[in-house]
Amino acid sequence: MDKRKLILITIAALSVPAIILFYSLFAFSGKDSNLGIVISLAVLLIVVVFMVFFIIKRYKSIRDNLPAEDERSRKVLVNAAAKSFYVSLYWLLAIGWFEDSLADLFGINQLTASQAAGLAIAGMALLFFSFWLYYDKKGKLL
Amino acid sequence: MKNRIKELRAKYNLTQEELARMVGARRETIVFLEKGKYNPSLELAYKIAKSLKVKIDELFIFDN
Repeated sequence: MDKRKLILITIAALSVPAIILFYSLFAFSGKDSNLGIVISLAVLLIVVVFMVFFIIKRYKSIRDNLPAEDERSRKVLVNAAAKSFYVSLYWLLAIGWFEDSLADLFGINQLTASQAAGLAIAGMALLFFSFWLYYDKKGKLL
Repeated sequence: MKNRIKELRAKYNLTQEELARMVGARRETIVFLEKGKYNPSLELAYKIAKSLKVKIDELFIFDN
């Protein structure tokens, strides 16, 4: 992967948090509860942290004349995606089962569809980042 | 699966980074290979064996 490709990936990756930020500002402004914006900002934070980590790692490899990704890094991504998808099914079930408790926790009457979707996305993003970090640093890929 | 990558790399005075560059992999991949925490594809195993001037079966040892 050359530097031009890295710049393009960086721009594409930056557009994701920008869209989330604009969406949260427009979709949840003027609503009774701030939960929507809090969830959006949480997703934004997770995405940005992951992205910064990911880009720095790739930049270091390119700087040292090494490939930005190889078969192991691709396997790490695939494993993290597969595991996070599997675990996120339980997370989605938990949101459904404990909807009332979650609403109480956030001090609102009921979770709206967009708040529930936001919670689901935040959880999925966090799970993916955690699994990716685990496989990248510690995981045995045999 | 055990391997002799570290031993042969030392024999040819190669750093992990140099070996990684020779085989087109990242340095972390070589680190995990040496620790036995990653089994490479046949293509990568072949490239490493060729770089270290041995046959694949001399580099990787199956441990039952």
